[in-house]
Amino acid sequence: MRLRFDEQLGLLHRELIAMGALCEDAIATAAKALAEGSRSLAMKAPELSSEIAHRERLIESMCMKLLLSQQPVAKDLRVISSALKMVTDLERIGDNSGDIAEIVGMANIEPTDNTHTIQDMARAAIRMVTDSIDAFVKRDVALARVVIEYDDVVDGLFNRVKAELKEQLADRSQNSEKALDLLMIAKYFERIGDHAVEVARWVLYSITGSRE
Amino acid sequence: MTKRIFYTIMTVAVSVMLASSLLFMTALYSYFSRTHMAQLKRQTELFAAGIEAIGADYLDITDLPGEEDYRTTWIGVDGGVLFDSLKNPGEMENHLEREEVKSALATGYGESQRYSSTLTQKLLYSAKRLSDGTVIRLSVAQSSLLALTMGMVQPILIILLAALLISVLLASNLSKRIVKPLNELDLDDPLSNQGYDELSGLFHRIDAQKKQIKSQSEELSRRQSEFEAVTGGMSEGIVLIGHSGEILSINPSARRLLGCDEIAPGAKMIEINRSVGLTEILERAEREGSSEGTIRVRDRILRLDASSVVSEGVSLGCALLILDVTEREKAEEQRREFTANVSHELKTPLQTISGSAELLAGGLVKSEDVPGFAKSIYSESKRLIQLVEDIIGLSRLDEGAPDMAVKSVELFSQTKAALSGLYSKAGEQGVSVELTGESVYIKGVPQLTQSIVYNLADNAIKYNRRGGWVKITVAPDGDRATLCVEDGGIGIPESEQERIFERFYRVDKSRSKEISGTGLGLSIVKHSARLQGARLSLDSAPGRGTRITVSFVRDLEPDKGQDMQNM
Repeated sequence: MRLRFDEQLGLLHRELIAMGALCEDAIATAAKALAEGSRSLAMKAPELSSEIAHRERLIESMCMKLLLSQQPVAKDLRVISSALKMVTDLERIGDNSGDIAEIVGMANIEPTDNTHTIQDMARAAIRMVTDSIDAFVKRDVALARVVIEYDDVVDGLFNRVKAELKEQLADRSQNSEKALDLLMIAKYFERIGDHAVEVARWVLYSITGSRE
Repeated sequence: MTKRIFYTIMTVAVSVMLASSLLFMTALYSYFSRTHMAQLKRQTELFAAGIEAIGADYLDITDLPGEEDYRTTWIGVDGGVLFDSLKNPGEMENHLEREEVKSALATGYGESQRYSSTLTQKLLYSAKRLSDGTVIRLSVAQSSLLALTMGMVQPILIILLAALLISVLLASNLSKRIVKPLNELDLDDPLSNQGYDELSGLFHRIDAQKKQIKSQSEELSRRQSEFEAVTGGMSEGIVLIGHSGEILSINPSARRLLGCDEIAPGAKMIEINRSVGLTEILERAEREGSSEGTIRVRDRILRLDASSVVSEGVSLGCALLILDVTEREKAEEQRREFTANVSHELKTPLQTISGSAELLAGGLVKSEDVPGFAKSIYSESKRLIQLVEDIIGLSRLDEGAPDMAVKSVELFSQTKAALSGLYSKAGEQGVSVELTGESVYIKGVPQLTQSIVYNLADNAIKYNRRGGWVKITVAPDGDRATLCVEDGGIGIPESEQERIFERFYRVDKSRSKEISGTGLGLSIVKHSARLQGARLSLDSAPGRGTRITVSFVRDLEPDKGQDMQNM
């Protein structure tokens, strides 16, 4: 009985990692589409986010089945309940990546547009997502804390993007419509960072048993 | 084990005790019954004799001690009761039908036994016919087997309990004694055990199997270390993956390529690398038997070859071979680009030539335009020749042509000579060219040095503004000598700086004819510098200009004679 339960927990673990990998893929695709202004890449992102949503439902029903049939307690219960919460955040990350790609596709953003700071944000957000999933895989408490700290960097970059766009609008070097799109993109990256922090928090919870 | 032995002994002891007491009671009872009956018969005969001798009065004087247990009845010939020691004879019924009376009347003596209505007592009857035809009957009450047993319950229970206690003690003791040597068996050294001779066969067997297991595990670990030695030295990564994705074996190269330093035992592949590509390749291998693909891990391009390991129709897992194909992919890409570039570069002038020639041949050109067409054919042909020469020169550089022996070269005069052909071109562009510096000897090849200077200066003039400037400086720098070509031209964007030394790479992708060039100049510079052991460095910013510095190996003991000859 316990053996079977452990097997199912292992499967849940693997499914979560696979879903995390898909999220990394999605955000990387969105960031690349932004950097290269590539429409074909932007088209790929919605596919990824629907795949991620599908995985979310799969993992959710898996968790429910485990909760009902095994009635886990203590650590197992923590692992399963945090998995339930984590998939929601992962799904949001996939969603936001899809949104970014959509804006890139619609707004016709070119590599020549000055998007350096946003690309810095993208890199920071990707790092946060990767680290939060790494923390989950390696059950690394320290790394999860690093992710939570790192959110400040993304927030700082977001403020810089805002300030830069304000300047560019003031001296009319930026098309106002594009500026709004860029601001939205930056906001989505900032949201992705927040979700990565949530994932890291749930990783911490599943290991230590306390919410920080 | 101890418990089972204990319970078995206990069960046997208790059942033996119960059975024997039952047997004992039954035997005892039947013996009692027989003696009782015999006694009763004797008594009856005594009574009969007494009555025959004395008459009815005998009955009144028989109130002897010990005889009150007997009930005496005298039955007349007609069955009526003449006397009874317990009841009034008048109230008693006819006794003629009683079994013992009937047989006494028939044979002279009869006996029977009946249970009383309560079953706790058995009544024994014995009757004797007297000479006058009457019957004297004696009866005595005897306890039934049940009552007898009931009476003996207490002592029996005490005995049973005592026996039980003793057997509990003995059983537990015995079972412990049986099991103890078994518990103390030393299975690590089975032959050293004593105690049970019956087990020695087993011990020998265990010993033999232990030896076999040991030799097999040694063989296994030897093979394992062989396998590790073989795979450890490989530059390709090998990973063996179990059925549920756990890593069974991974060699150092695979660890390096996948970028993981330590792997916890039983770690899953997906925990090491979760890239979607890898997961897909493994899944496909499981489904289809084998699969391949490439993934990117931290700027490296890895080629993966996975094949599932199937034994007797059951999939045991997957073997994954990892090759680092980054260099190959890059070289492949460069070659593709080069081929595409060469064809494009060769085709453009040829098309102009063939187009012009076609028009000329068709007589479609006005006579006054003919020189113009001829001129374009001529200039395009020259461009083609230049291109082919450059390509030949480059391939010679690639091969490292044998006539390019390194010798002592005076850099300043070589630079001056190389520049001499460029002043007119600079004049056309309105660019000033200035050469400063001092004489310094380097180890190099004169033709290559000149081609470096020529190409760098040519670029500096071409990619410049009207009325711009080019500064060329030759200076010694410790054990090296530097040639610095600086301009105030259009500059190179940072993102392009890495690629400008590639063949046919031109910053201006539109390949406009405004600035003529083959796109091979800097590539020639790079290869020429490499062949002479010189280092290149680039410092450029768009709109500010470009500075390219070539750092040659300085020749501190120049052989002037040879150098003079060269000049």
